Amino acid sequence: MPASSESIAIRLNAVSKTFPGAAAPAVTALDLEIPEGNIVALVGPSGCGKTTTLKMINRLIEPTSGSIEVLGQPQEAVPAYELRRRIGYVIQQVGLFPHQTIRRNVGTVPELLGWDRAEIDQRVEELVELVGLDAATLDRYPPELSGGQRQRVGVARALAADPPILLMDEPYSAVDPVVRERLQDELLDLQSKVGKTIVLVTHDIDEAIRLADRTAILDVGGILRQYDTSENLLRHPASPFVASFLGRERGLRRLALRTVNDIVPMRGPALSSTDGIELAVSIMADHATSWVAIVDADRLIGWVDAKSIAAASNGTLLGALPIEPFVSRVAPQTPLREALDTILTSSSRIACIVDDHDHFVGMITIDQLAEGLE
Amino acid sequence: MRSLFTLEPSGSIVASTAESFIWWGWIGDHLDDIWQRTVEHLVLTAIAIVVGFVISALLAALAIRLRWTYGPITIIGSLLYTIPSLALFALLIPITGLGLVTAEIALVSYTILILVRNIVSGMDGVPPEVREAADAMGYRPGRRLLRVELPLALPAIIAGLRIATVTVIGLVTVTALIGNGGYGAFINDGLSRDFSTPIVVGTVLSVVLAVLADLAFAMLERLLTPWNRGSSSGRGVS
Amino acid sequence: MEPRIFERAGRVMSVASEVIELLSTNETWTGPRGLLARSQSHLWISLVASFMAATIALPTAIWLAHQRRAPIASVAIVNIARAVPSFALIALVFPISLRFGFGLGFWPTCVALVALGIPPMFANTYAGVAGTSDDMIEAARGIGMRELDVLRQVELPTALPLIMNGVRVSIVQIVATATLGAIVGYECLGSFIVSGLARGRSGQASVIVGGLFVAALALLIDAILGTLASRSGRRSTQI
Repeated sequence: MPASSESIAIRLNAVSKTFPGAAAPAVTALDLEIPEGNIVALVGPSGCGKTTTLKMINRLIEPTSGSIEVLGQPQEAVPAYELRRRIGYVIQQVGLFPHQTIRRNVGTVPELLGWDRAEIDQRVEELVELVGLDAATLDRYPPELSGGQRQRVGVARALAADPPILLMDEPYSAVDPVVRERLQDELLDLQSKVGKTIVLVTHDIDEAIRLADRTAILDVGGILRQYDTSENLLRHPASPFVASFLGRERGLRRLALRTVNDIVPMRGPALSSTDGIELAVSIMADHATSWVAIVDADRLIGWVDAKSIAAASNGTLLGALPIEPFVSRVAPQTPLREALDTILTSSSRIACIVDDHDHFVGMITIDQLAEGLE
Repeated sequence: MRSLFTLEPSGSIVASTAESFIWWGWIGDHLDDIWQRTVEHLVLTAIAIVVGFVISALLAALAIRLRWTYGPITIIGSLLYTIPSLALFALLIPITGLGLVTAEIALVSYTILILVRNIVSGMDGVPPEVREAADAMGYRPGRRLLRVELPLALPAIIAGLRIATVTVIGLVTVTALIGNGGYGAFINDGLSRDFSTPIVVGTVLSVVLAVLADLAFAMLERLLTPWNRGSSSGRGVS
Repeated sequence: MEPRIFERAGRVMSVASEVIELLSTNETWTGPRGLLARSQSHLWISLVASFMAATIALPTAIWLAHQRRAPIASVAIVNIARAVPSFALIALVFPISLRFGFGLGFWPTCVALVALGIPPMFANTYAGVAGTSDDMIEAARGIGMRELDVLRQVELPTALPLIMNGVRVSIVQIVATATLGAIVGYECLGSFIVSGLARGRSGQASVIVGGLFVAALALLIDAILGTLASRSGRRSTQI
């Protein structure tokens, strides 16, 4: 349940929708509160009414019963077209106007609102930069752009008049996975800069978990089954339906929510090149490893094999022995799920944490990962 | 005035055939007539196209609003189109007499099928997500029609106008048989007097007019749809 | 204004009664200038012209399209052909025909009708055959089909609906334009119209009768060909 201190941007009260001629309702008495500044995802199987619900927020579809409040005012307070000019809308196929340049496409809503030319131009240029596009695209036409570029223009167009609310309907489904991940990153980045209230419809549970502050899981007929943060959903699914929708790998998915930063690392079997082999032997016994990592002045140099240590004569310093480069590394900001992959594929079952400035932070094992889930 | 039936004593058959077809002097003598008939032909065509377009636009709007009317409208349109022009004139004469009105009613009915089909097809060709996006941005229906749907339907509409105009220019010649004619008057004249020069002149002029009209519409389309010029050649990296 | 409408209505009524009278006269139907005779000759010239047009247009289009040659020319042909009025075509051929001793009536009309019928058949056939997916053809060649087989078993079946459509459009146009043959002396349904026009008011009933029958004939042919085309279309989609 959303915290009472947050103000509610969108409130759905017992909203229902039955399409004419349909046997069953598409959305059934939905109650939902979407707090300001949050990204809320609507997920569910097909037929769960998630897109219908989204479209009822900006009145592209009118509810059969119930009411929707947007920013404290009932929907009907203003004519539909005025409401929509204050809500940004992004869809899967983007829907850019092919007969207009990107510049005019992005400037659509400001133009409808009557801004003057200079203001519109300035805003359009700002936005294009914000979404990561080259200024040269402004004078091109939509058919000339690639899918990823068009998606970005779609987002820019939605944000043009600086609406407080953004609605997105499966915005990344039509793009290939590599581009999709990049666009998702950009959305998070954007959100950290502009802090909109975003309602996102997606069928991809991983996308919801990755992007949303809160996720609403809907069942067929638009029935709300659970509405909570990603962490809570994964930890405590409210029903077998939710659990099966979330899938079997709930633990792994929760790992995706955390980064290496959230774990307290251990120093691990790390010595400097000026340490002797006797010390190495005892350290290796302590940690039950067949190698030692060499760290000099906080820099990870590499590792030395137990065999080399055993073959060396007494008093040899570690720096004199052959040092292999340490391959399995993670950064502090690496998500734990990725860190797990690195650990599993390393021969040592341990990864070293090295930050952006090449400093050695510590080491991480599977046990520590598991602890991170507690 | 040479008669075709006069035997030419000199020259090969080809040369004398060519000679007897175009008596250039005739053209020089009839420049005024040619100009007059040109104007007449253009006026007849213009009226037919304008009236036909207005009627077709209304029918198309109806067909889009009430989908079930599209079938009947197309059937009537194609019925009118199939009826030979002379027959249509024949059937109209007792009601509207010989003259401009009869000619125009028939000419207009030939344009209905192609124009209605193309207008509806053009409007249907607007991608649904573009319409949805326009609504979501906050376009009101009237403005959406004007700024989004019509521009995108324009290529199909102009294509229809192009074909209709060329067809009408050809059909105007037949109206010569009921008293108007434009260039058809020359053709008719030549036929009745067994004189080939006006026939050739009438034919060539009407073909030239049709080709010019076709080109004019082609240019119009290029002018009004700048977004169709750059094809998806610039496939950039996302 | 009002009296004029009554006047017009009166005229229509009298013409209508004349038409009925004409139709009930035996002579109108039988006899060398009768409806039956003229319908026959109308259909005859349409048949001949259609056949000739098909003989010229179809093989050429199929051959060119199979070789994927001259695509621009085929588009240009249609455009130019559309620009030439059929009336002018008949009128042009007429003196040539006289000059070379082919006489009035049949030949000028026929040649003009053939010229009229070629473009739709040609364009549609070309589009149909050339539009066969290159992948399908490559696959066919790959499994060892000879060129003739590729044509017969891949390109023609796929192109059939379009070819039939082109033939249909041509035939209907030919039937419709054959009417104008009356102007150059060919005895056909158009003759009722042309001779009626020449007689002014007294010939109005004749004009109407001619008009009705030509219209009916054209629509009938169109309907027949339409059902034939859709029936064969259904068969051809069962590949």
